[in-house]
Amino acid sequence: MGVNQPTALEHVLITTKVEKVINWARASSVWPMTFGLACCAIEMMAAGASKFDFDRFGAGIFRATPRQSDLMIVAGTVTYKMAPVIKKLYDQMPEPKWVIAMGSCATAGGPFDSYHTIQGVDKVIPVDVFIPGCPPKPEALIYGFLKLQDKIMTSSIADRYKDIFEEVG
Amino acid sequence: MAESIEPQAPAAPEAPMGPYVYDYAAAPFRQVVMPKTVPLPSFRTYTAEVAAAAAADEAKWAKQLADFEVAKTKAEAEGKDAPKPPVRAVPRKDDNDMKTPWPVAATDADLLKLQELLGDSVEEIFEQAGERVCQVKKEAILEALKACREEPSLKYEMLADQSATHYPAAKDFAFSIVYHLTSISRSKRLRLRILVPEGFIPESACDLYPSANWMEREIYDMLGIRFANHPDMTRILCPEDWEGYPLRKEYPTVGWGQRDIDFRDDRGGVLNRLAMEKAGQLGINLKQPKAD
Amino acid sequence: MFKNEEMEINLGPQHPSTHGVLRVKLRLDGETVTKCTPVIGYLHRGVEKICENKTFFQGQVWTDRMDYVASISNNLGWAEGVEKLFGIETPRRARYIRTLLTEQNRLASHLLWLATHALDIGAMTVFLYAFREREYLLDLFEAFCGARLTTTAFRIGGLREDLPPGFIKNSQAFQDRFLACIDEYEELLTENRIWKKRTVGVAKLNAEDCIALGVTGPVLRAAGVPYDIRKAFPSAAYAEMDFEVPTRTEADTYARYLVRLAEMRQSHRIIQQCLDGLPEGPVMAKIPKILKSEVNEVYHPIEAPKGELGYYFVAEKGGTMPYRMHVRAPSFVNLQALPKMTEGRLLADVIAAIGTLDVVLGEIDR
Repeated sequence: MGVNQPTALEHVLITTKVEKVINWARASSVWPMTFGLACCAIEMMAAGASKFDFDRFGAGIFRATPRQSDLMIVAGTVTYKMAPVIKKLYDQMPEPKWVIAMGSCATAGGPFDSYHTIQGVDKVIPVDVFIPGCPPKPEALIYGFLKLQDKIMTSSIADRYKDIFEEVG
Repeated sequence: MAESIEPQAPAAPEAPMGPYVYDYAAAPFRQVVMPKTVPLPSFRTYTAEVAAAAAADEAKWAKQLADFEVAKTKAEAEGKDAPKPPVRAVPRKDDNDMKTPWPVAATDADLLKLQELLGDSVEEIFEQAGERVCQVKKEAILEALKACREEPSLKYEMLADQSATHYPAAKDFAFSIVYHLTSISRSKRLRLRILVPEGFIPESACDLYPSANWMEREIYDMLGIRFANHPDMTRILCPEDWEGYPLRKEYPTVGWGQRDIDFRDDRGGVLNRLAMEKAGQLGINLKQPKAD
Repeated sequence: MFKNEEMEINLGPQHPSTHGVLRVKLRLDGETVTKCTPVIGYLHRGVEKICENKTFFQGQVWTDRMDYVASISNNLGWAEGVEKLFGIETPRRARYIRTLLTEQNRLASHLLWLATHALDIGAMTVFLYAFREREYLLDLFEAFCGARLTTTAFRIGGLREDLPPGFIKNSQAFQDRFLACIDEYEELLTENRIWKKRTVGVAKLNAEDCIALGVTGPVLRAAGVPYDIRKAFPSAAYAEMDFEVPTRTEADTYARYLVRLAEMRQSHRIIQQCLDGLPEGPVMAKIPKILKSEVNEVYHPIEAPKGELGYYFVAEKGGTMPYRMHVRAPSFVNLQALPKMTEGRLLADVIAAIGTLDVVLGEIDR
């Protein structure tokens, strides 16, 4: 009998942090919201369709309502008229929630440096991942989504409420 | 240290309460280059320009000839060699595949028919780039549209497009409104045009061509031309509370500050007020916010 | 005993079946729509204003992003409109390649329409099938100009480059299998009982109303009017092509579906003719590096997948930028017909009506 033989307990148990398990569960079943604004929405649809199959990463269930979704992919140009709507939709999403700004319009206004275009969705809601491209290819969206998964895996429950904790003291 | 280097900023003056004035120095990105010419295609202006250019050319040639005569007599008197006779300049030929479409006199039967039907209401008819243009008096636009639609030999059934252009440099009008009519049965197109001054309210084409409904709303939204007897003369693309008419030439492409609001501050209903404040800081002429 | 009250509901701007950010205000009496008011402008980006401050060469980039499903059609309209403004004659080979790409783009656009329209009505499989073929076409566009959607495919005066090596071979491979694919979609839908129940007799719009409201494209042709700008005012190389204009007389959603499928077969035919008869020669006309316009205005319409797409330019003397650029967007005008199509009908038919109009919000709001 070797000394290094694992004990019977170690055969059946994995020790980890609760937070890590929760993060793992969250990262592998992100439900995005079907929220197409412009050109990028078509590439988002393509990412979900036959060739690219977004579902492989656990994000294939596009929900039509913000109340059932975890991830808002802002795919397209955000305009002055649309911004309050986006804000309202974001507020309706349950915590924890993430935002991907897909494409250069959602990132920084893109080619539309004009009177009615908000220069980046980060002026409306907080953004986790920015994906450049006009529009980004589905591969780029998938890469951005994988980055988001990394972010979720390293996040802590405390992070999101840090400000509140600090305020409360 | 920093305090002593940096000059003390004077206390910010109260935001002006009256109507704001343009202060482009406060908003350098919002400077606009106003057009100086009136690019209104017209056969009449074109022929006048061509005639003027030809006359100037002729005068130049005559002057060259006269100069030559003077030089020749002078040279003969002094016993020198005679100077070279002048050569008339030939317009340089461009070696490319471009053939600029100049306006030509109207020969199309439809335009002549329209002129016959409308008489004095027609200001000008001509053709350019294979397109037929008929400019009518602004008060007679409904009459002209009706003629185009109902006259059996014209039969323009569809209003394909309607749009307007701002001409700030023009003296006796400010906008041109164009109506692109299509005859599906005859495969023909026609452009009707009216010139309207600022503040003039042309008749809406909605009764004759229901497709004009949204197009006229768009013209109102973008250029601020109202139409009489329109069923719903409201903004269509911009929000209802938008200030300014974006496609006017004095409107900067980046707008008057509405887009630069930080929407994260929005707590419902204060957006427009924020926009107004922002515009006020930039010294831009916007309406005062209504008291809540 | 029962209260008879009308209810107002909001469809959109965030709704999975409004194809973007369309908002429709509906007044309902039970399930019946009594009033329908489309509200647009949620994607208004000021393309016309931007293009007035860009040169004739630059402006095409923004046309891609108007009807992003059929950007090559938009490019064609821009390029030909500017060429008309300057009187530029493009080489024959360039016109053929333009026709070829535009028709392939029409296929891509119709495939996306089929996929989303079927998905809205409840048929998921068609979505996956149609995207399979669409990806193939997008790969072809990517080989030609480096982008899948926003192509900026043409230049003023012709094309920037000739077709890349292998393009014709790959296009031919697509041609060989595509007709069988259309048969597949037809197998899934044409005789499908659910599909017929949801589409036959739904959202009718007869020919008079179509013409009065300015509706063009497949919606007009499904009402029995054989108006196609490729035939009526041919541009590019359409005058040399042999194709038919499919029409139906029922003027309902099902007829529009059949018309669009028949159009896909005709596009297939045009592409084949382009591939077979591609002439040799240059692809770019001789034009100056900087285009300076004379005072002129043109309106150039082309047949986009949605209907008549017109570009209206006003140019000033010596200008390098359009003095005024206006786009007659087919979806913008077609959407005006939505109240006429849906009022007095059931709520569920509104979804079918939006799908059958094939609107793209980027083009409506510009």
